[in-house]
Amino acid sequence: MDLENNKAQMRKGILEYCILSVLSRNSCYASDIIKELKEAEVIVVEGTLYPLLTRQKNAGLLSYRWEESLQGPPRKYYELTEEGRKYLAELDKSWQELVESVNLIRTR
Amino acid sequence: MDKTININLGGILFQIDEEAFRKLRDYLQSINNRFGNSQGGNETIEDIELRIAEIFQSQKGLAGVITIENVAAMISIIGKPEDFDHGEPETAAPEYQSQKKRMYRNPDDSIISGVCGGIGAYLDNDPVLFRILFIISAMFGVGIFIYIALWIALPVARTDAQKRAMYGESYHTSINQNRQFNSNQLTGSSQYNTGYKSESGIGNAINEIFRAIGRVFYIILRILLIMIGVVLVLTGFLSILCFVMVVVFKFPGVYSIESSGINLINFTDFLNYLVSPSAVPWITFLTSIVLILPMIAIIYWGVKMIFWFSARDGVVSLVAFVVWVMAISALTVIGLNEGVSFAHSAKTSAEIVLPATPDTLYIVTDNKIADLKYEKDFVLPHKEYSVYINDDKKELYIRSYLAVDRADNKSTTIEARKYASGRTETEALKRTEGLLFNYGIKGDTLHLDEYFTSPAGRKWSADNVGINLYIPTGTVLKFENNPRILLHSSFRNESNEYLESSWESGNSLWVMTNSGLEQVPEKSSKFK
Repeated sequence: MDLENNKAQMRKGILEYCILSVLSRNSCYASDIIKELKEAEVIVVEGTLYPLLTRQKNAGLLSYRWEESLQGPPRKYYELTEEGRKYLAELDKSWQELVESVNLIRTR
Repeated sequence: MDKTININLGGILFQIDEEAFRKLRDYLQSINNRFGNSQGGNETIEDIELRIAEIFQSQKGLAGVITIENVAAMISIIGKPEDFDHGEPETAAPEYQSQKKRMYRNPDDSIISGVCGGIGAYLDNDPVLFRILFIISAMFGVGIFIYIALWIALPVARTDAQKRAMYGESYHTSINQNRQFNSNQLTGSSQYNTGYKSESGIGNAINEIFRAIGRVFYIILRILLIMIGVVLVLTGFLSILCFVMVVVFKFPGVYSIESSGINLINFTDFLNYLVSPSAVPWITFLTSIVLILPMIAIIYWGVKMIFWFSARDGVVSLVAFVVWVMAISALTVIGLNEGVSFAHSAKTSAEIVLPATPDTLYIVTDNKIADLKYEKDFVLPHKEYSVYINDDKKELYIRSYLAVDRADNKSTTIEARKYASGRTETEALKRTEGLLFNYGIKGDTLHLDEYFTSPAGRKWSADNVGINLYIPTGTVLKFENNPRILLHSSFRNESNEYLESSWESGNSLWVMTNSGLEQVPEKSSKFK
């Protein structure tokens, strides 16, 4: 068994949930999301995030607006759509269930 | 490492040294390979390019040359594609081929649409060759179609990644030259670098000539478009003007009552009698939408052609189109619904056979159109059918007819016919009975009205009333008081065919001959 691989698999499963959770508080620029996820040690490199954001946006969970930046290129600010909020609520529920299930098994 | 290359990342120009450039190029290529074929891949690539630009800028500001250290630091922040691993199913097998070339249209080296520029980049050759080829083949006609097909089929290389895929190996030599152009300049004016390795002096000169031709071509196109635009705008405004004039102000200029053709001015008033009253405002409203929306669209297209701007009008256009289609559909539904009231037609007739056949039958009209009180009239083509509207009494007066034909036997027959239509045959029949028409025979004089009346408050239902008169050969018709009645008859023409014909009878004499009804010349005393 490859421990690192196993850890990565676990992180992968919750990554999208984490992105939506970060965005549920307020709209964010991609780097803000990256910062939070890096602090929480959910991701290692930034590149992981971009395809996921694109995919969630195309699925209608996110929308974005362009904002001019004082230095550098314009930035995309992402925010949750109504659909995204519903989706997140579902994930919240299933996360709760997952934690309870794992705890149940561990403490038996 | 003193050679630097200018690159454009996310709209920002950077100077980068050659070594760093190669590393960056390979990195972008690997990202392109990773995402280029997946759904939404181009957007992801653009996001990453923006982020790279941002990282470079935070490292260097706007000045300073990007070094290989900067690129390495950037890669460690963003990560290598193989580190991205995000648990998505692989949409495409990873491509290890480092330079996969694709054909695009090249916006940086374009004269018309960048097709030749793109082919040049793809085949690593000077685009001028393909331009000459296309012009030669265009002379035979084929080239134009191939060119247009390629124009449609090939995508424009917009992102840097696509441009890399377009140039392939030669990207690093052409990037320097092409990056400095403003790709949006359709006129093709651009400063020209001599850095392009495969471009000879002659090729360069010919390309310049082509650029000049392209400019002329473009200017001619613009002038044509402006002219078309002006015509469109004028057409649109004139149509709206006409519409408002005719419908709102009932300006009688073009459509005078005397002119043939449907008299449009009073159409809106006639509508009240044509359809059920509740439908009238709807029909007026929907018809206005159906007619005015396209006029506005025409004006807008015209303005757009003249000033050559692009606006985010997609949604508005779509909404307008949907509204238009809905208006047309609603109008169709209403029209069909109203049309049903004309579905069945019925005829009632009453026949009088004269006991003795007179040599001369006198015809007198009692109620004359000239004495009618009406506000508006509505004339169908060639005055064969005229409707006079009295809005006060809500009555319609319609001109009646007199059809004269040869009797098969020796007797004179007068048949009064009434036609009407309705939703059902019974309704239609009932309507015919409501139509008021006076006629009668007194001795050898036929009395009739020049019009019949559709009773108050009733809508028009294709009513028609008249007398069918059958007289034997030799019978003379004498119209007594200059009636303006519509006279139908069939007569035989020179090629021996029977034709239906109609006259407005004056104060004149007619005689029934074997070949049909004929007018007796005024001066002839024979029948007087």
